[in-house]
Amino acid sequence: MPKTSTTTKKPWLAILGLLAAFALVAAACGDSDDEETTDDESSESASASETADDSDSGEEEAMEDEDEGEAMEADRSINVAIVGNPTLDDIASLTPELFTAETGIEVNYTVLDEQTLREVTTRDVGAGGDQFDVVQIGMYETPQFGANGWLVGLNDLAANDPDYNIDDLIPAVRGGLSVDGELYASPFYAESSFLMYRADVLEEAGLEMPAAPTWDQVAEIARAVDSDEMAGICLRGKPGWGDLGASFTTVLNTFGGTWWAANDDGSIGAAQVDKPEFAEAFNFYVDLINDAGQDDAANSSFNECLSLYQNGEVAMWYDATVAAGILEADDSPVQGLNDFALAPTNVTDASGWLWAWTLAIPVSTSDQDAAWEFVSWATSQAYIEAAGENLPGGWAAVPPGTRQSTYDNPNYQEAAASFAQKTLDAMQAAPIDNPGTEPRPGLPGVQYVGVPEFQDMGTRCTQELSAAIAGSQSVEDAISACQSIASEFSS
Amino acid sequence: MSSQRIGESKWKNAVLGILAWVVSLLVFFPVFWMVLNGFKTELDANTDPKLLFEPTFEQYRTVTTQTEGLLGFQEAFTNSFIAVITSTVLVMLLAIPAAYSLSIRPIAAWRDVLFFFISTKFLPIVAAILPLWIIARDLDLLNTRLVLIILYTAMNLPLAVWMLRSFFNEVPRELVEAAQIDGSSIWGQITSVILPIVAPGIAATALLCVIFAWNEFFLAVQLNPVDGSTVPIWVSSNVSTRGNFLAKLSAASTLATLPVVIAGWVAQKRMIRGLAMGAIK
Amino acid sequence: MTAIDTDKAQALARYQRREAWRRRIPLLPALLFTIVVTQVPFAFSLWFSLTEWTIVPPSPRTFVGVDNYVDLASNEFFREAAWTTVVMTVSSVLLSLLLGTVLALLLDREFFGRGVARTLLITPFLIMPVVAGLVWKTQMFNSSFGVLNWLLVNGGFERVEFVSRFPGISIIVVLVWQWTPFMMLIILAGLQGQDQSVLEAARVDGASNWAIFSQITLPQLRPYLELGTLLGSIYLIQVFDHVVVITGGGPGSTNIPYFVFQRSIGGGWRFGQASAFSIVVVVASIIIATLGIRLLSNLLEGETP
Repeated sequence: MPKTSTTTKKPWLAILGLLAAFALVAAACGDSDDEETTDDESSESASASETADDSDSGEEEAMEDEDEGEAMEADRSINVAIVGNPTLDDIASLTPELFTAETGIEVNYTVLDEQTLREVTTRDVGAGGDQFDVVQIGMYETPQFGANGWLVGLNDLAANDPDYNIDDLIPAVRGGLSVDGELYASPFYAESSFLMYRADVLEEAGLEMPAAPTWDQVAEIARAVDSDEMAGICLRGKPGWGDLGASFTTVLNTFGGTWWAANDDGSIGAAQVDKPEFAEAFNFYVDLINDAGQDDAANSSFNECLSLYQNGEVAMWYDATVAAGILEADDSPVQGLNDFALAPTNVTDASGWLWAWTLAIPVSTSDQDAAWEFVSWATSQAYIEAAGENLPGGWAAVPPGTRQSTYDNPNYQEAAASFAQKTLDAMQAAPIDNPGTEPRPGLPGVQYVGVPEFQDMGTRCTQELSAAIAGSQSVEDAISACQSIASEFSS
Repeated sequence: MSSQRIGESKWKNAVLGILAWVVSLLVFFPVFWMVLNGFKTELDANTDPKLLFEPTFEQYRTVTTQTEGLLGFQEAFTNSFIAVITSTVLVMLLAIPAAYSLSIRPIAAWRDVLFFFISTKFLPIVAAILPLWIIARDLDLLNTRLVLIILYTAMNLPLAVWMLRSFFNEVPRELVEAAQIDGSSIWGQITSVILPIVAPGIAATALLCVIFAWNEFFLAVQLNPVDGSTVPIWVSSNVSTRGNFLAKLSAASTLATLPVVIAGWVAQKRMIRGLAMGAIK
Repeated sequence: MTAIDTDKAQALARYQRREAWRRRIPLLPALLFTIVVTQVPFAFSLWFSLTEWTIVPPSPRTFVGVDNYVDLASNEFFREAAWTTVVMTVSSVLLSLLLGTVLALLLDREFFGRGVARTLLITPFLIMPVVAGLVWKTQMFNSSFGVLNWLLVNGGFERVEFVSRFPGISIIVVLVWQWTPFMMLIILAGLQGQDQSVLEAARVDGASNWAIFSQITLPQLRPYLELGTLLGSIYLIQVFDHVVVITGGGPGSTNIPYFVFQRSIGGGWRFGQASAFSIVVVVASIIIATLGIRLLSNLLEGETP
């Protein structure tokens, strides 16, 4: 076929060209052993291009200044800190046209990875950095920060804003973001966890997945379908309280274990990591990964599992419900092959987690009205509709899980037919107030314990547990190290 | 320069030459791979390694396209150039006279002072970040280029003092004394006698300062996340928590490392000559 | 004592004082700058280390004396991090010195395209640590798409989960990759500064290549090896970006900088305790460095500037 031959030839040429270009530059720089002048010339030209760069950007700045001068309205601007992920990239791309053009408020985004965002925003709102007018935080931080008095309460602002419609928020999510009925952050997207699986693979193997499976059933199916080409199940194993910590804590809960006991006053009691329930849950998790899990589980989280699942290298995947939207998107190689089941359980009735990324306003903001205008716009029903119409991913790609109206929307129902209802079911089933069998300290939370110390303990403990998943230390050593980490916080 | 060694057969030299080439290519391979991945689509980058693919400039277009409100390529490079060049110039202005005081006409306690400079490099920057952040906040320096200029100057100054002092030791004392007798000031001695001799050393030192400042990530991201953000922050903003980003990240990384890599390539001969002076003999 | 003698003595003393100050003045700007920028934060850290202070949950700063230092002595994770730091620093400095020497010897001879080969070799040192870590983690070590595993699998071997199985070694590999070129440049400088006539004489006398290397070249390289060790240690003991990017901490890869980071802004938010850790680290580093510099050689002592 002539077509194929041209496509295979071209890359080689391109690579050769690339190599040649590199070699030329390298040669020009390296082979000047005898000619001192070459050195000087090229360094001069390098510095010349630097100055050219500088003057370019100087003009750029001057132009920006003019722009600002012309548009009198645009002198209001807010700083927003967000985590780098596609859903939030979308909002950045829609902002100039749909928000700034309407309100005259310029939005200056700071995009950071999740870990750095936590460092920067926590210090900023907690120690008075006054850098941000709006910060993206999670459901874990929101009630804590709210209770600390760091965030602007949103009830009054929402009540006076006809575009916001606070009662449209999904109750479980609203509850998780409130302290004593006061909402402290507006959800941008929300998720639970559930089990995604390749319906075609299970059918071929003659296996059936219940709509609400137990972990034993899931483990059995995973071991049955596991083969050299396709792992039975993908589970998070990467260190981090929001990575392995989230997945494993839901398993721990439903096995009847917990991280800490609660004292009578709700403070952190004795560490429970050395209890048999913990060992049972963790051994179950590790064994399942070893028998039927993906390669290099200790380095896998959402992203890695997503790649494996899309490449057809795993048959099942226990993770966030937002993944369903990606698996069923038009450009997904596994579109239409999937089915979804509730988060697997053991001794509890439900085990799915509950999480939201939210936008909150620190009390230190210099322009609370502009900040609210932005928060309201970015988390409103109108934004979700605009996103459905304007984004390349279409309706399936709108931020899910926040508003009932999204699930009532016929466009969304059509685009997300296979998972919309199951996502909503999972979110409503998430046992936010009663996640395990034991009372636990702090504020409500499923895949985390609602105390500030959990972040530190969770990060360090999951490093130990992850090392046991990798096999670089034994399960017993990991558990005993983790017990002493958790004990540091007991009182 | 060592020429053909006596008694060494030609083929042995050829074998060693080929070996040197093989090792060079192996060492360079990760960089080559990164550059290559920048020309792939995400689909091609996130699968088994392949050399055969349809090259695309899409990633370069994506990372250099300015989205309003987000940290752009141009802004980050401008900030980096300004912070790096200004701090390096400052380092030199401070370190050259200091090196004079520790070498040409040394003060009595020159050993202690030199050791003090080096000892400041032992304070882990992660441990100093909170005091630095508090001070910067109270002086209204957060999110300014100035704060990075000050800290990069402090970060590189000990290294520069240390290296320049070694270079200054190479300057024949008679020349300095002759200039002194002719009545030139300290600055005159430095510019007319010392600098011409130690120029390669100064170039090597400045280049090291530029490399360390250009590549610095931690201080920049902690103190300047909003404004005055530098190139490493721009690179890391291409890491996504959900979705594939390898090809995009490779393209951004290639652009980010290019200025320093080219500067290093151009100046390597001078680096070697500079370092030859710098060792304590 | 006559009045004239006293005058003379005073004049001499005045002259000496003036001379001493003239010598000091050029040093002062750099010294003052360094003191202000580095010692003020250090003083803050010292003060914080005597307090109990967390941001999350917010608590007022309370003076607790040396409690934080007492806690530290019994902290097994601190000891583990200290050990990791020693292993990481020593092995990456030694390995990059060794490989740097080998590469410098290979390059110190005429062959086709020597300049290009050297250019390729120095490149890793110029790469941003964050980028180097990401490239190695996602494109070399990665167990599904990584080049190393692709080679292993096609060579008929089992996949190796490099980063999770061998976290410390993975980081050391990247550090050695980045620092070998720097060491190579230093050694190359030493080789090119050798006294050729001595080498010629030794060859004429029929000395073997190894004898020439070990008895003539190596002693001449000593100051260069020392310079490499000193500069390498200063930077490698502080390695932070690589740890964050490649493993994000954990047994075998949490070194002291990362540990302190984790205790403070990395999620622990215990600034008092973290400050105490860092003070201990600084003091320990300075003691080790003093001993090291003294032991290593007459680095400063024998020298008359």
